[in-house]
Amino acid sequence: MTAGYGAAPYGATRRSTATALLGRDAPLRRLDWALLLAVLAMGVLGTALVWSATRQAALDSGGDPQAYIKHHVINMAIGMVLGLAASLFDYRMLRAYAPAVYLLSMAGLVAVLSPLGATINGSHSWIVLPAGFSVQPSELAKVALVVGMAMLLSEKRDAEVEPRNTDVVLALAFAAVPLGLVMLQPDLGTALVISALVLGVIAVSGADIRWVVGLVMGGALVAFVAVQVGFLKPYQLDRFTAFLNPAADPKGAGYNVRQAQIAICSGGIHGQGLFAGAQTQGKFVPEQQTDFIFTVAGEELGFVGAVGLILLLGIVLWRAMRIAAQAEDLFGRLLATGIVCWFAFQAFENIGMTLGIMPVTGVPLPFVSYGGSSMFANLLAIGLLQNVHMRRYA
Amino acid sequence: MRLADSRRRLRAAVICLALLLSLFGGRLLQLQGLDATAYATEAAKGRMTTVTIPATRGTITDRNGIALAATVDAFDITADQTLVQHPRATAAALAPVLRLPAAALEATLSGTRRFVYVAKGVSPDVWRRVRDLNLSGTDGLPGIFGEPTSRRTYPAGTVGANLVGFVGADGHGLGGVEYALDKSLAGTDGKITYERGPGGRRIPTGETVGRDAVPGRDVTLTIDRDIQWMAQQEIAAKVKETGAKSGTVIVMDPRTGDLLAVATAPTFDPANPGAAPEAARGNRALTEAYEPGSTGKVITASALIENGAVTPDTPIDVPNRLRRAGKTFKDFHDHPTQKLTYTGTLAKSSNIGTILAAEKLGLPRLYPYLKAFGVGTPTGLGLPGEASGAVLPPSRWSGTTGYTMAFGQGYSVNAVQMASVFATVANDGVRVAPRLVAARAGADGTMHATAPSPRTRVIRPATAQTVRLMLETVLGEGGTAPLARIAGYRVAGKTGTAQRFDPTCSCYRGFTMSFIGLAPVDKPRLVVAVTLQAPKSGIGGGSTGGPVFRDVMSFALQTLHIPPTGTRPPGLRIERN
Repeated sequence: MTAGYGAAPYGATRRSTATALLGRDAPLRRLDWALLLAVLAMGVLGTALVWSATRQAALDSGGDPQAYIKHHVINMAIGMVLGLAASLFDYRMLRAYAPAVYLLSMAGLVAVLSPLGATINGSHSWIVLPAGFSVQPSELAKVALVVGMAMLLSEKRDAEVEPRNTDVVLALAFAAVPLGLVMLQPDLGTALVISALVLGVIAVSGADIRWVVGLVMGGALVAFVAVQVGFLKPYQLDRFTAFLNPAADPKGAGYNVRQAQIAICSGGIHGQGLFAGAQTQGKFVPEQQTDFIFTVAGEELGFVGAVGLILLLGIVLWRAMRIAAQAEDLFGRLLATGIVCWFAFQAFENIGMTLGIMPVTGVPLPFVSYGGSSMFANLLAIGLLQNVHMRRYA
Repeated sequence: MRLADSRRRLRAAVICLALLLSLFGGRLLQLQGLDATAYATEAAKGRMTTVTIPATRGTITDRNGIALAATVDAFDITADQTLVQHPRATAAALAPVLRLPAAALEATLSGTRRFVYVAKGVSPDVWRRVRDLNLSGTDGLPGIFGEPTSRRTYPAGTVGANLVGFVGADGHGLGGVEYALDKSLAGTDGKITYERGPGGRRIPTGETVGRDAVPGRDVTLTIDRDIQWMAQQEIAAKVKETGAKSGTVIVMDPRTGDLLAVATAPTFDPANPGAAPEAARGNRALTEAYEPGSTGKVITASALIENGAVTPDTPIDVPNRLRRAGKTFKDFHDHPTQKLTYTGTLAKSSNIGTILAAEKLGLPRLYPYLKAFGVGTPTGLGLPGEASGAVLPPSRWSGTTGYTMAFGQGYSVNAVQMASVFATVANDGVRVAPRLVAARAGADGTMHATAPSPRTRVIRPATAQTVRLMLETVLGEGGTAPLARIAGYRVAGKTGTAQRFDPTCSCYRGFTMSFIGLAPVDKPRLVVAVTLQAPKSGIGGGSTGGPVFRDVMSFALQTLHIPPTGTRPPGLRIERN
């Protein structure tokens, strides 16, 4: 294995454009096509689900029934351009820009807490821009955090040496800033995703196993104290615990969980058919185009469709892990690991809450849910994964 | 720690991931495979709602198919307040179309209720205009919906209102034919069970089960709208002119029993029945029983001629007073002793003369004729609230009952019954029961004529003809109703000026003035009965009812293209020298 920055793969640039694109050593040939196709398939499926989830509401209110779907497709297109851009340059160059990206995204998170921030659907995590656009800085902060964590834990050594404790402490301090800012919004779901991401990157970085165990236990202790001291607001706690017994308060905290489960159950094996799910078309499930999009798949596409979606997700995660495993250097590996942990935990949280096995916290389902910022962040991350994959010289 | 070590940790992560995804798969299988039916049923039950689809109510038409009552499509305008983003602008847009004040509309549209009525029963045209409204940048008015419904309309307005009746808020008949034939007119409502969203609106793709509504059946009345209109105009004017409590006009075809008009005054607007007092909404021609007075002498005459007790020429000397059963009888006007024929006692409507003639037959023998002419028997029209009158059998008579009955007092009838008495005489002695429904729709919607009314012979044809000739003299020289004459036609009739029993004081107070006639005398086609209850002015039935009779009968003869017969009256004598 050589970790050099040899010019050999880039000899192609001197050849014809066609060879450059399709030649044996061309980056396109090195793309992880399975990953790309799985992501695209999830995107297409998501588009159909978002359409089905939003059409009737728009019709009822006299709006354009295709307003959401148009936005969604545009978001995906922008996201793909971002992803492409993220795959074009050598990912190792990111190390140079990491501090700037990190500071920029932290500034975004601070801006949310300033008067620039806006509350949408009970979550104060938006910045409203002119011309009807709005961004959710916490989504893009995930990307910045992944890059920063990977850099910090791989920077000062080669792959043979495990991170020193000071590196881990530095990385934790580095992660604590966005975590704290997100908690202030408060966005519990994103905070959990960030925690999982941080834990995963530290675990894979080769840090002492005691760090991992200690962090898990410390997290549990913090959660316990937070509940005891009353740091969490009652509604957060209610939402959080409603999944344990949705029938206890079916019109209140348990409403989402219960309606989500009814929707999924109504799907049966083959589903009711797209645009034909009574729970979905009746808009019983709140936020069904974003956080609860999985219920639309469950009801209208049934077990077959829902499992298909999970399998696609499995392919994405498996390929991402494979990229992590095959990465040429520790930075690439940790970059991929952070992205895997982020996607895996966010998907687990999202699907888990609709299935009643995880508490309700508002996080979108990657590649499927409606929402520009998360779509941008997700596809940007896929671009980075492809970047790491294309530039392995194994 | 080596890089290989982190690879091992990655492998552990892959296994974790596989376990996690399997957990999802298993949970999905549990929910969708095993619990699905129970959950889905429970969920659907919660979403299901059953709504009645009202059956379209049958149309009520006149004999020529002109609609008197019809059900038309309409829309209830509703709103989901949570979807109305700009109540003020929306109200301002709606106000001119719905013709409602903008301020009130704004209040209706503001709030958080998911379902409110904005306007009920607007026409499809209004709903189309509402649907085409928009605020700047919206397609239609967000949150405003139209729900199809229906509305009962009465295209002829008050014409026939007291016959046709009206419907209540629930769409069911509360008066007249609307009430009497409600079951047939209403049809059978359908039912639809469908799934609805949390806002109460139907889920377009949800499950739907139901049964179609069976539309109500149409009814064709025997009424002629134009004649009915004329009759209503005339009686309303006369009631107003005389200050009467009420009045009725009945136009009847004696050959079939068909009622061509049953007009009452005062009347009401069936589109707004609440604005009229209850008494004005019923049908006084059936609900009011009264003592007919001198028009009842036709029954007496029929009985006497039929039995040969008298002839038209039988001399009757009529004193100014006549004492019978301890009571002194008198005529409407004082007069010296008159030398009349029996015809003359009818023409001059002499009570004393009638008693003297009836005594030749024997008073109790009048009773079977009263019954045979239909007095005291319901008309069979089936309209609500009919008062069929009462007549006592001879065994229960007091001393004077027989004498008063001879000249039409001491028993009671309703106006349709009295018209039917004249129709029997007009139809050569065969009584055809009055009829109001000419045809009804079958299950397939085609119209089937109603069975002809039962026919019973009451008197011989010759008797009926003789009575008609005698009644012709009522309109002649020396008769009581010269004002009822119609140029070119031979008309027979009888005036009535009866003492009116007033139930509020249980005493006789005021009069019932009437004129009932038929035309043409030698080939009768129409009977018109005019009755006024308690007029404050007017001298007698001839001068109050006569002109109404003349105008309505003339109009009906022309409308139905009934030609004069061109014959001349035989010139029966009414006085002897």
